[in-house]
Amino acid sequence: MTVPAVILFALVVVYPFVGGIYYSFTDWDGVAKSWNWVGLRNYLRLFQTPVILTPLRNTLIFTGVNLVLCNALALFVSVGISRTNRLNSGIRAVFFLPFTISLVVASYMWTYLYSSGIYPLLGIRNPLGNPATANLGLSMISIWRNMGYCIVIYVAALQTIPESLYEAAEIEGASGWTRFSRITLPMLVPALTINVTLILGWGLKEFDTVMAATGGGPGDATTSVAFYVFKTTFVWGKAGFGQAIAIVMLIGIVLATSLVTKFFRSREVEN
Amino acid sequence: MSKRRFEAGSVLRYSVIALLAAIVLAPFYVQVIFALKTRAEVVETGLALPTRLYLGNFAEALSNTGLVSAFLRTTLVTVVCVAVLQVIASMCAWAVVRNERSRYFGSLYYLFLAAIMLPFQVVMLPLYSLFRGIGLLNTVPGLIVGICGFQLAYNVFIMSSFIKTVPISMEEAARIDGAGVLTTYRKVVVPLLEPIMVTSLILNTLSAWNDFQVTVVLAFKDGVRTLQYALYMFFGQYSAQIHQAFAAFLIAVLPIVVLYLALQKFLISGLTAGSVKG
Repeated sequence: MTVPAVILFALVVVYPFVGGIYYSFTDWDGVAKSWNWVGLRNYLRLFQTPVILTPLRNTLIFTGVNLVLCNALALFVSVGISRTNRLNSGIRAVFFLPFTISLVVASYMWTYLYSSGIYPLLGIRNPLGNPATANLGLSMISIWRNMGYCIVIYVAALQTIPESLYEAAEIEGASGWTRFSRITLPMLVPALTINVTLILGWGLKEFDTVMAATGGGPGDATTSVAFYVFKTTFVWGKAGFGQAIAIVMLIGIVLATSLVTKFFRSREVEN
Repeated sequence: MSKRRFEAGSVLRYSVIALLAAIVLAPFYVQVIFALKTRAEVVETGLALPTRLYLGNFAEALSNTGLVSAFLRTTLVTVVCVAVLQVIASMCAWAVVRNERSRYFGSLYYLFLAAIMLPFQVVMLPLYSLFRGIGLLNTVPGLIVGICGFQLAYNVFIMSSFIKTVPISMEEAARIDGAGVLTTYRKVVVPLLEPIMVTSLILNTLSAWNDFQVTVVLAFKDGVRTLQYALYMFFGQYSAQIHQAFAAFLIAVLPIVVLYLALQKFLISGLTAGSVKG
Protein backbone atom coordinates (compact mmCIF):
# COMPACT_ATOMS: atom_id res chain seq x y z
CA MET A 1 0.00 0.00 0.00
CA THR A 2 2.89 2.35 0.59
CA VAL A 3 4.77 1.58 -2.63
CA PRO A 4 3.39 4.36 -4.91
CA ALA A 5 3.83 6.99 -2.21
CA VAL A 6 7.34 5.83 -1.39
CA ILE A 7 8.42 5.84 -5.06
CA LEU A 8 7.07 9.34 -5.60
CA PHE A 9 8.56 10.60 -2.35
CA ALA A 10 11.95 9.07 -3.13
CA LEU A 11 11.97 10.62 -6.61
CA VAL A 12 10.87 14.14 -5.67
CA VAL A 13 12.15 14.57 -2.11
CA VAL A 14 14.66 12.00 -0.86
CA TYR A 15 16.88 11.65 -3.92
CA PRO A 16 17.05 15.41 -4.60
CA PHE A 17 17.69 16.04 -0.92
CA VAL A 18 20.71 13.75 -0.88
CA GLY A 19 21.85 15.11 -4.26
CA GLY A 20 21.50 18.62 -2.88
CA ILE A 21 23.88 17.92 -0.04
CA TYR A 22 26.40 16.67 -2.60
CA TYR A 23 25.99 19.72 -4.90
CA SER A 24 26.54 22.06 -1.96
CA PHE A 25 30.17 20.86 -1.87
CA THR A 26 30.75 21.68 -5.55
CA ASP A 27 31.22 24.77 -7.71
CA TRP A 28 28.56 23.65 -10.20
CA ASP A 29 26.83 26.43 -12.16
CA GLY A 30 23.62 24.43 -12.64
CA VAL A 31 24.09 23.91 -16.40
CA ALA A 32 27.58 22.60 -17.21
CA LYS A 33 28.27 18.89 -17.61
CA SER A 34 31.12 18.95 -15.12
CA TRP A 35 31.98 20.53 -11.81
CA ASN A 36 34.70 20.55 -9.19
CA TRP A 37 34.56 19.32 -5.66
CA VAL A 38 35.31 22.33 -3.46
CA GLY A 39 34.80 20.87 -0.01
CA LEU A 40 33.47 23.31 2.54
CA ARG A 41 34.27 26.41 0.48
CA ASN A 42 30.62 27.36 -0.20
CA TYR A 43 29.79 27.15 3.49
CA LEU A 44 32.89 29.07 4.55
CA ARG A 45 32.14 31.76 1.98
CA LEU A 46 28.63 32.09 3.38
CA PHE A 47 29.99 32.82 6.83
CA GLN A 48 32.90 34.98 5.68
CA THR A 49 31.16 37.28 3.19
CA PRO A 50 27.92 38.25 4.87
CA VAL A 51 25.89 38.46 1.62
CA ILE A 52 23.08 36.63 3.35
CA LEU A 53 22.59 39.24 6.09
CA THR A 54 20.21 41.51 4.17
CA PRO A 55 17.94 38.66 2.99
CA LEU A 56 18.06 37.24 6.50
CA ARG A 57 17.09 40.57 8.04
CA ASN A 58 14.22 40.99 5.54
CA THR A 59 12.95 37.48 6.21
CA LEU A 60 13.07 38.00 9.98
CA ILE A 61 11.21 41.34 9.82
CA PHE A 62 8.58 39.80 7.56
CA THR A 63 8.20 36.76 9.81
CA GLY A 64 8.13 38.80 13.02
CA VAL A 65 5.47 41.23 11.80
CA ASN A 66 3.42 38.30 10.55
CA LEU A 67 3.73 36.38 13.80
CA VAL A 68 2.63 39.26 16.00
CA LEU A 69 -0.07 40.91 13.88
CA CYS A 70 -1.57 37.76 12.42
CA ASN A 71 -1.97 36.14 15.83
CA ALA A 72 -3.11 39.28 17.64
CA LEU A 73 -5.76 40.14 15.03
CA ALA A 74 -6.91 36.54 14.71
CA LEU A 75 -7.17 36.18 18.48
CA PHE A 76 -9.20 39.37 18.77
CA VAL A 77 -11.63 38.30 16.06
CA SER A 78 -11.85 34.71 17.32
CA VAL A 79 -12.82 35.67 20.86
CA GLY A 80 -15.62 37.80 19.39
CA ILE A 81 -17.03 35.09 17.14
CA SER A 82 -16.41 31.92 19.16
CA ARG A 83 -20.10 31.17 19.85
CA THR A 84 -21.55 28.86 17.23
CA ASN A 85 -24.25 30.61 15.24
CA ARG A 86 -24.90 31.47 11.62
CA LEU A 87 -23.56 35.01 11.77
CA ASN A 88 -20.30 33.90 13.38
CA SER A 89 -19.80 31.05 10.90
CA GLY A 90 -20.40 33.54 8.11
CA ILE A 91 -17.83 35.97 9.50
CA ARG A 92 -15.32 33.15 9.85
CA ALA A 93 -15.90 32.12 6.24
CA VAL A 94 -15.31 35.73 5.12
CA PHE A 95 -11.98 35.92 6.93
CA PHE A 96 -10.88 32.61 5.43
CA LEU A 97 -11.72 33.64 1.86
CA PRO A 98 -8.36 35.31 1.03
CA PHE A 99 -6.56 32.08 1.94
CA THR A 100 -8.02 30.43 -1.15
CA ILE A 101 -6.31 32.92 -3.45
CA SER A 102 -2.81 32.27 -4.75
CA LEU A 103 0.00 34.40 -3.35
CA VAL A 104 0.78 35.51 -6.91
CA VAL A 105 -2.70 36.90 -7.49
CA ALA A 106 -2.79 38.34 -3.97
CA SER A 107 0.51 40.09 -4.63
CA TYR A 108 -0.62 41.63 -7.90
CA MET A 109 -4.01 42.59 -6.49
CA TRP A 110 -2.31 44.43 -3.65
CA THR A 111 0.32 46.13 -5.77
CA TYR A 112 -2.51 47.56 -7.89
CA LEU A 113 -4.50 48.40 -4.77
CA TYR A 114 -1.54 50.13 -3.16
CA SER A 115 -0.74 52.21 -6.23
CA SER A 116 -4.10 52.80 -7.92
CA GLY A 117 -6.60 52.30 -5.11
CA ILE A 118 -5.26 53.33 -1.72
CA TYR A 119 -3.00 56.13 -2.91
CA PRO A 120 -5.60 58.16 -4.86
CA LEU A 121 -8.32 57.47 -2.28
CA LEU A 122 -6.50 57.80 1.04
CA GLY A 123 -3.25 59.47 0.07
CA ILE A 124 -1.14 56.69 1.61
CA ARG A 125 1.87 56.06 -0.60
CA ASN A 126 2.56 52.60 -1.98
CA PRO A 127 4.67 50.99 0.78
CA LEU A 128 6.30 48.65 -1.73
CA GLY A 129 8.05 51.57 -3.42
CA ASN A 130 9.98 52.63 -0.34
CA PRO A 131 12.80 50.42 1.02
CA ALA A 132 11.91 51.40 4.59
CA THR A 133 8.32 50.17 4.37
CA ALA A 134 8.48 47.53 1.66
CA ASN A 135 8.76 44.58 4.06
CA LEU A 136 5.73 45.87 5.94
CA GLY A 137 3.81 46.22 2.69
CA LEU A 138 4.57 42.58 1.87
CA SER A 139 3.65 41.52 5.41
CA MET A 140 0.23 43.12 5.02
CA ILE A 141 -0.45 40.98 1.96
CA SER A 142 0.32 37.77 3.79
CA ILE A 143 -1.47 38.79 6.99
CA TRP A 144 -4.53 39.55 4.89
CA ARG A 145 -4.26 36.11 3.35
CA ASN A 146 -3.33 34.00 6.41
CA MET A 147 -5.35 35.56 9.22
CA GLY A 148 -8.42 33.46 8.40
CA TYR A 149 -6.48 30.24 8.84
CA CYS A 150 -5.42 31.29 12.35
CA ILE A 151 -9.00 32.29 13.16
CA VAL A 152 -10.29 28.85 12.21
CA ILE A 153 -7.78 27.21 14.55
CA TYR A 154 -8.45 29.65 17.43
CA VAL A 155 -12.24 29.41 17.17
CA ALA A 156 -12.09 25.62 17.26
CA ALA A 157 -9.93 25.75 20.39
CA LEU A 158 -12.19 28.33 22.04
CA GLN A 159 -15.18 26.09 21.48
CA THR A 160 -13.56 23.32 23.50
CA ILE A 161 -13.21 25.46 26.64
CA PRO A 162 -15.93 24.32 29.06
CA GLU A 163 -18.51 27.01 29.84
CA SER A 164 -18.41 25.93 33.51
CA LEU A 165 -14.98 27.51 33.93
CA TYR A 166 -16.37 30.93 33.00
CA GLU A 167 -19.43 30.44 35.18
CA ALA A 168 -17.26 29.60 38.18
CA ALA A 169 -15.07 32.64 37.51
CA GLU A 170 -18.12 34.86 37.27
CA ILE A 171 -19.42 33.63 40.62
CA GLU A 172 -16.02 34.40 42.11
CA GLY A 173 -16.41 37.91 40.71
CA ALA A 174 -13.59 37.77 38.14
CA SER A 175 -13.56 40.67 35.66
CA GLY A 176 -13.69 40.23 31.90
CA TRP A 177 -9.93 40.76 31.56
CA THR A 178 -9.15 38.32 34.38
CA ARG A 179 -11.37 35.71 32.74
CA PHE A 180 -9.54 36.24 29.44
CA SER A 181 -6.03 36.17 30.87
CA ARG A 182 -6.58 33.39 33.43
CA ILE A 183 -8.92 31.06 31.53
CA THR A 184 -9.07 31.81 27.82
CA LEU A 185 -5.41 32.46 27.15
CA PRO A 186 -3.96 29.45 29.04
CA MET A 187 -6.53 27.16 27.42
CA LEU A 188 -5.57 28.52 24.01
CA VAL A 189 -1.87 27.68 24.21
CA PRO A 190 -2.18 24.50 22.07
CA ALA A 191 -3.87 26.53 19.32
CA LEU A 192 -1.26 29.24 19.74
CA THR A 193 1.46 26.61 19.27
CA ILE A 194 -0.13 25.52 15.99
CA ASN A 195 -0.58 29.04 14.65
CA VAL A 196 2.87 30.25 15.67
CA THR A 197 4.50 27.19 14.11
CA LEU A 198 2.53 27.62 10.89
CA ILE A 199 3.16 31.34 10.49
CA LEU A 200 6.81 30.89 11.43
CA GLY A 201 7.25 28.22 8.77
CA TRP A 202 5.43 30.19 6.08
CA GLY A 203 7.30 33.36 6.99
CA LEU A 204 10.78 31.85 6.95
CA LYS A 205 10.04 30.25 3.55
CA GLU A 206 8.62 33.49 2.08
CA PHE A 207 9.03 33.32 -1.70
CA ASP A 208 5.94 33.87 -3.87
CA THR A 209 5.07 37.36 -2.63
CA VAL A 210 8.64 38.56 -3.03
CA MET A 211 8.98 37.22 -6.54
CA ALA A 212 5.59 38.49 -7.72
CA ALA A 213 5.08 41.75 -5.84
CA THR A 214 8.53 43.30 -5.62
CA GLY A 215 11.08 41.06 -7.34
CA GLY A 216 13.15 41.53 -4.20
CA GLY A 217 13.32 45.30 -4.51
CA PRO A 218 13.51 48.22 -4.27
CA GLY A 219 17.23 47.44 -4.38
CA ASP A 220 17.37 44.34 -2.22
CA ALA A 221 15.01 45.69 0.46
CA THR A 222 12.59 42.74 0.27
CA THR A 223 14.85 39.93 -0.97
CA SER A 224 14.04 36.98 1.30
CA VAL A 225 16.36 34.06 1.97
CA ALA A 226 14.32 31.71 -0.24
CA PHE A 227 14.29 34.25 -3.07
CA TYR A 228 18.02 34.83 -2.67
CA VAL A 229 18.62 31.09 -3.00
CA PHE A 230 16.52 31.05 -6.16
CA LYS A 231 18.42 33.95 -7.71
CA THR A 232 21.84 32.63 -6.73
CA THR A 233 21.02 29.24 -8.21
CA PHE A 234 19.13 30.02 -11.39
CA VAL A 235 19.85 33.65 -12.23
CA TRP A 236 23.47 34.14 -11.16
CA GLY A 237 24.54 30.59 -11.99
CA LYS A 238 26.16 29.85 -8.64
CA ALA A 239 24.18 26.68 -8.08
CA GLY A 240 26.60 25.07 -5.62
CA PHE A 241 26.65 28.17 -3.45
CA GLY A 242 22.86 28.53 -3.64
CA GLN A 243 22.48 24.93 -2.58
CA ALA A 244 24.71 25.54 0.44
CA ILE A 245 22.57 28.52 1.49
CA ALA A 246 19.43 26.39 1.09
CA ILE A 247 20.85 23.77 3.43
CA VAL A 248 21.81 26.35 6.03
CA MET A 249 18.31 27.79 5.62
CA LEU A 250 16.80 24.37 6.31
CA ILE A 251 18.90 23.98 9.46
CA GLY A 252 17.79 27.45 10.60
CA ILE A 253 14.12 26.64 10.00
CA VAL A 254 14.34 23.33 11.86
CA LEU A 255 16.11 24.98 14.81
CA ALA A 256 13.74 27.96 15.00
CA THR A 257 10.63 25.83 14.66
CA SER A 258 11.65 23.26 17.26
CA LEU A 259 12.76 25.92 19.78
CA VAL A 260 9.50 27.84 19.41
CA THR A 261 7.38 24.68 19.54
CA LYS A 262 9.23 23.54 22.65
CA PHE A 263 8.71 26.92 24.31
CA PHE A 264 4.96 26.87 23.74
CA ARG A 265 4.48 23.16 24.44
CA SER A 266 6.01 23.65 27.90
CA ARG A 267 3.31 26.23 28.61
CA GLU A 268 0.38 24.07 27.62
CA VAL A 269 -1.96 23.21 30.49
CA GLU A 270 -3.26 19.71 31.02
CA ASN A 271 -6.99 19.43 30.70
CA MET B 1 -24.74 46.57 35.62
CA SER B 2 -22.10 44.02 34.84
CA LYS B 3 -24.30 42.51 32.16
CA ARG B 4 -24.86 45.91 30.55
CA ARG B 5 -21.16 46.65 30.40
CA PHE B 6 -20.63 43.23 28.85
CA GLU B 7 -23.15 44.02 26.11
CA ALA B 8 -21.64 47.41 25.37
CA GLY B 9 -18.26 45.71 25.11
CA SER B 10 -19.53 43.10 22.70
CA VAL B 11 -21.22 45.70 20.49
CA LEU B 12 -17.91 47.53 20.25
CA ARG B 13 -16.08 44.30 19.54
CA TYR B 14 -18.56 43.33 16.82
CA SER B 15 -18.17 46.74 15.20
CA VAL B 16 -14.41 46.39 15.06
CA ILE B 17 -14.75 42.85 13.69
CA ALA B 18 -17.21 44.08 11.07
CA LEU B 19 -14.74 46.78 10.08
CA LEU B 20 -11.93 44.22 9.80
CA ALA B 21 -14.17 41.95 7.72
CA ALA B 22 -14.90 44.88 5.43
CA ILE B 23 -11.16 45.49 5.00
CA VAL B 24 -10.65 41.81 4.23
CA LEU B 25 -13.40 41.90 1.60
CA ALA B 26 -12.46 45.27 0.12
CA PRO B 27 -9.86 43.95 -2.35
CA PHE B 28 -12.46 41.52 -3.73
CA TYR B 29 -14.96 44.32 -4.13
CA VAL B 30 -12.44 46.55 -5.89
CA GLN B 31 -11.43 43.64 -8.10
CA VAL B 32 -14.98 42.94 -9.25
CA ILE B 33 -15.85 46.61 -9.71
CA PHE B 34 -12.78 47.41 -11.78
CA ALA B 35 -13.14 44.27 -13.87
CA LEU B 36 -16.69 45.24 -14.84
CA LYS B 37 -16.10 48.88 -15.76
CA THR B 38 -14.63 50.68 -18.74
CA ARG B 39 -11.77 53.08 -18.17
CA ALA B 40 -13.98 56.12 -18.63
CA GLU B 41 -16.45 54.76 -16.11
CA VAL B 42 -13.77 54.26 -13.48
CA VAL B 43 -12.60 57.83 -13.88
CA GLU B 44 -16.17 59.07 -13.59
CA THR B 45 -17.67 56.88 -10.89
CA GLY B 46 -14.68 55.55 -8.95
CA LEU B 47 -15.60 52.66 -6.66
CA ALA B 48 -19.38 52.90 -7.06
CA LEU B 49 -21.25 49.85 -8.37
CA PRO B 50 -21.27 49.64 -12.16
CA THR B 51 -24.50 50.67 -13.84
CA ARG B 52 -24.26 48.19 -16.68
CA LEU B 53 -22.57 44.92 -17.35
CA TYR B 54 -19.37 45.49 -19.36
CA LEU B 55 -17.42 42.38 -20.25
CA GLY B 56 -14.85 43.93 -22.58
CA ASN B 57 -12.09 43.70 -19.99
CA PHE B 58 -12.49 39.94 -19.83
CA ALA B 59 -12.30 39.64 -23.60
CA GLU B 60 -9.13 41.74 -23.69
CA ALA B 61 -7.53 39.89 -20.79
CA LEU B 62 -8.26 36.55 -22.42
CA SER B 63 -6.87 37.52 -25.80
CA ASN B 64 -3.72 39.15 -24.42
CA THR B 65 -2.40 36.73 -21.86
CA GLY B 66 -2.81 33.25 -23.31
CA LEU B 67 -5.05 32.77 -20.34
CA VAL B 68 -7.37 30.24 -21.97
CA SER B 69 -4.75 27.56 -22.54
CA ALA B 70 -3.17 28.28 -19.16
CA PHE B 71 -6.58 27.91 -17.56
CA LEU B 72 -7.21 24.52 -19.19
CA ARG B 73 -3.70 23.31 -18.36
CA THR B 74 -4.05 24.38 -14.74
CA THR B 75 -7.36 22.54 -14.52
CA LEU B 76 -5.74 19.38 -15.85
CA VAL B 77 -2.77 19.65 -13.48
CA THR B 78 -5.05 20.29 -10.51
CA VAL B 79 -7.45 17.43 -11.24
CA VAL B 80 -4.66 14.87 -11.73
CA CYS B 81 -2.69 16.07 -8.68
CA VAL B 82 -5.74 15.92 -6.44
CA ALA B 83 -6.75 12.46 -7.66
CA VAL B 84 -3.24 11.02 -7.32
CA LEU B 85 -2.69 12.52 -3.88
CA GLN B 86 -6.05 11.37 -2.52
CA VAL B 87 -5.41 7.80 -3.53
CA ILE B 88 -1.75 7.26 -2.75
CA ALA B 89 -1.65 9.36 0.43
CA SER B 90 -4.68 7.64 1.96
CA MET B 91 -3.34 4.19 1.06
CA CYS B 92 0.04 5.01 2.53
CA ALA B 93 -1.36 6.65 5.67
CA TRP B 94 -3.66 3.69 6.29
CA ALA B 95 -0.83 1.21 6.01
CA VAL B 96 1.41 3.32 8.24
CA VAL B 97 -1.15 3.86 11.01
CA ARG B 98 -2.31 0.23 11.10
CA ASN B 99 1.28 -1.06 11.28
CA GLU B 100 2.64 1.57 13.63
CA ARG B 101 4.78 -0.88 15.58
CA SER B 102 6.71 -2.09 12.56
CA ARG B 103 10.09 -0.44 12.17
CA TYR B 104 9.64 0.21 8.43
CA PHE B 105 6.26 1.93 8.75
CA GLY B 106 7.28 3.77 11.90
CA SER B 107 10.34 5.32 10.32
CA LEU B 108 8.39 6.08 7.15
CA TYR B 109 5.95 8.10 9.25
CA TYR B 110 8.75 10.14 10.82
CA LEU B 111 10.35 10.66 7.41
CA PHE B 112 7.11 12.19 6.11
CA LEU B 113 6.70 14.23 9.28
CA ALA B 114 10.19 15.69 8.90
CA ALA B 115 9.63 16.44 5.21
CA ILE B 116 6.71 18.77 5.97
CA MET B 117 9.18 21.39 7.19
CA LEU B 118 11.42 21.09 4.13
CA PRO B 119 11.69 24.31 2.10
CA PHE B 120 11.38 23.67 -1.63
CA GLN B 121 14.66 25.55 -2.19
CA VAL B 122 16.61 22.62 -0.71
CA VAL B 123 15.46 20.18 -3.40
CA MET B 124 14.80 22.50 -6.34
CA LEU B 125 18.23 22.40 -8.01
CA PRO B 126 18.69 18.61 -7.93
CA LEU B 127 15.06 18.14 -8.94
CA TYR B 128 15.55 20.53 -11.85
CA SER B 129 18.63 18.71 -13.09
CA LEU B 130 17.06 15.28 -12.52
CA PHE B 131 13.96 16.26 -14.49
CA ARG B 132 16.08 17.78 -17.25
CA GLY B 133 18.02 14.53 -17.44
CA ILE B 134 14.95 12.30 -17.75
CA GLY B 135 12.96 14.65 -19.99
CA LEU B 136 10.35 15.71 -17.45
CA LEU B 137 11.46 19.35 -17.30
CA ASN B 138 8.92 21.75 -18.82
CA THR B 139 6.31 19.06 -19.31
CA VAL B 140 2.86 18.82 -17.77
CA PRO B 141 3.50 15.32 -16.34
CA GLY B 142 6.73 16.62 -14.81
CA LEU B 143 4.93 19.46 -13.10
CA ILE B 144 2.29 17.05 -11.79
CA VAL B 145 4.96 14.71 -10.41
CA GLY B 146 6.75 17.66 -8.79
CA ILE B 147 3.68 19.14 -7.12
CA CYS B 148 2.37 15.75 -5.95
CA GLY B 149 5.72 14.71 -4.58
CA PHE B 150 6.20 17.91 -2.70
CA GLN B 151 2.66 17.87 -1.23
CA LEU B 152 2.73 14.18 -0.38
CA ALA B 153 4.24 14.41 3.11
CA TYR B 154 1.63 16.84 4.38
CA ASN B 155 -1.15 14.70 2.90
CA VAL B 156 0.11 11.54 4.57
CA PHE B 157 0.35 13.46 7.83
CA ILE B 158 -3.23 14.79 7.90
CA MET B 159 -4.60 11.45 6.66
CA SER B 160 -2.70 9.62 9.40
CA SER B 161 -4.00 11.94 12.12
CA PHE B 162 -7.52 11.18 10.96
CA ILE B 163 -7.09 7.43 10.55
CA LYS B 164 -5.80 7.22 14.15
CA THR B 165 -9.31 8.21 15.29
CA VAL B 166 -11.05 5.59 13.13
CA PRO B 167 -11.81 2.35 15.02
CA ILE B 168 -10.14 -0.71 13.58
CA SER B 169 -13.02 -3.13 14.31
CA MET B 170 -14.74 -2.83 10.91
CA GLU B 171 -11.51 -3.61 9.07
CA GLU B 172 -10.97 -6.64 11.29
CA ALA B 173 -14.50 -7.84 10.57
CA ALA B 174 -13.86 -7.48 6.84
CA ARG B 175 -10.63 -9.43 7.18
CA ILE B 176 -12.38 -12.24 9.03
CA ASP B 177 -14.94 -12.36 6.21
CA GLY B 178 -12.03 -13.02 3.89
CA ALA B 179 -11.58 -9.63 2.24
CA GLY B 180 -8.09 -8.91 0.85
CA VAL B 181 -6.08 -5.82 1.64
CA LEU B 182 -7.16 -3.87 -1.45
CA THR B 183 -10.81 -4.81 -1.02
CA THR B 184 -10.73 -3.82 2.63
CA TYR B 185 -9.18 -0.49 1.67
CA ARG B 186 -11.69 0.23 -1.09
CA LYS B 187 -14.86 -1.07 0.51
CA VAL B 188 -14.28 -0.38 4.20
CA VAL B 189 -11.57 2.22 4.74
CA VAL B 190 -12.29 4.74 1.97
CA PRO B 191 -15.95 5.30 2.98
CA LEU B 192 -14.84 5.93 6.58
CA LEU B 193 -12.33 8.52 5.38
CA GLU B 194 -14.92 10.72 3.69
CA PRO B 195 -14.57 13.76 5.98
CA ILE B 196 -10.79 13.97 5.67
CA MET B 197 -11.03 13.19 1.94
CA VAL B 198 -13.19 16.28 1.45
CA THR B 199 -10.81 18.43 3.49
CA SER B 200 -7.73 17.25 1.65
CA LEU B 201 -9.55 17.55 -1.66
CA ILE B 202 -9.98 21.26 -1.03
CA LEU B 203 -6.49 21.78 0.37
CA ASN B 204 -4.89 19.91 -2.53
CA THR B 205 -6.97 21.82 -5.04
CA LEU B 206 -5.75 25.04 -3.47
CA SER B 207 -2.10 24.03 -3.45
CA ALA B 208 -2.09 22.63 -6.99
CA TRP B 209 -4.13 25.46 -8.53
CA ASN B 210 -2.16 28.14 -6.67
CA ASP B 211 1.30 26.61 -6.90
CA PHE B 212 4.00 29.00 -7.95
CA GLN B 213 7.38 27.98 -6.58
CA VAL B 214 7.40 24.44 -7.98
CA THR B 215 6.11 25.77 -11.31
CA VAL B 216 8.80 28.45 -11.52
CA VAL B 217 11.49 25.78 -11.38
CA LEU B 218 9.90 22.88 -13.30
CA ALA B 219 7.51 24.35 -15.89
CA PHE B 220 8.48 27.81 -17.10
CA LYS B 221 8.57 27.45 -20.90
CA ASP B 222 5.94 28.88 -23.20
CA GLY B 223 3.96 25.75 -23.98
CA VAL B 224 3.50 24.50 -20.42
CA ARG B 225 2.56 27.64 -18.50
CA THR B 226 -0.08 27.39 -15.82
CA LEU B 227 -2.32 30.24 -14.70
CA GLN B 228 -0.09 31.52 -11.93
CA TYR B 229 2.98 31.53 -14.13
CA ALA B 230 1.11 33.07 -17.07
CA LEU B 231 -0.06 35.89 -14.79
CA TYR B 232 3.47 36.32 -13.47
CA MET B 233 4.96 36.54 -16.95
CA PHE B 234 2.31 38.90 -18.17
CA PHE B 235 2.50 41.33 -15.28
CA GLY B 236 6.24 41.01 -14.99
CA GLN B 237 6.71 42.17 -18.57
CA TYR B 238 4.02 44.77 -19.10
CA SER B 239 2.36 47.02 -16.67
CA ALA B 240 -1.13 46.09 -17.72
CA GLN B 241 -4.22 48.24 -17.59
CA ILE B 242 -5.72 47.86 -14.18
CA HIS B 243 -9.15 46.85 -15.57
CA GLN B 244 -7.67 44.13 -17.68
CA ALA B 245 -5.51 42.98 -14.80
CA PHE B 246 -8.43 42.64 -12.43
CA ALA B 247 -10.47 40.84 -15.07
CA ALA B 248 -7.62 38.35 -15.45
CA PHE B 249 -7.36 37.88 -11.66
CA LEU B 250 -11.07 37.30 -11.46
CA ILE B 251 -10.84 34.54 -14.05
CA ALA B 252 -7.94 32.97 -12.12
CA VAL B 253 -9.64 32.99 -8.72
CA LEU B 254 -13.26 32.36 -9.62
CA PRO B 255 -13.20 28.54 -9.81
CA ILE B 256 -11.35 28.28 -6.53
CA VAL B 257 -13.62 30.73 -4.72
CA VAL B 258 -16.73 28.93 -5.98
CA LEU B 259 -15.32 25.59 -4.83
CA TYR B 260 -14.48 27.08 -1.45
CA LEU B 261 -17.92 28.62 -0.97
CA ALA B 262 -19.57 25.33 -1.87
CA LEU B 263 -17.44 23.21 0.43
CA GLN B 264 -16.32 25.63 3.14
CA LYS B 265 -18.26 23.88 5.91
CA PHE B 266 -16.36 20.65 5.37
CA LEU B 267 -13.07 22.44 5.00
CA ILE B 268 -13.32 24.29 8.27
CA SER B 269 -14.48 21.29 10.29
CA GLY B 270 -11.79 19.14 8.69
CA LEU B 271 -9.02 21.63 9.34
CA THR B 272 -9.89 21.92 12.98
CA ALA B 273 -10.39 18.19 13.56
CA GLY B 274 -7.00 17.50 12.05
CA SER B 275 -4.98 20.15 13.78
CA VAL B 276 -6.33 21.09 17.19
CA LYS B 277 -5.99 17.58 18.51
CA GLY B 278 -2.25 17.96 17.95
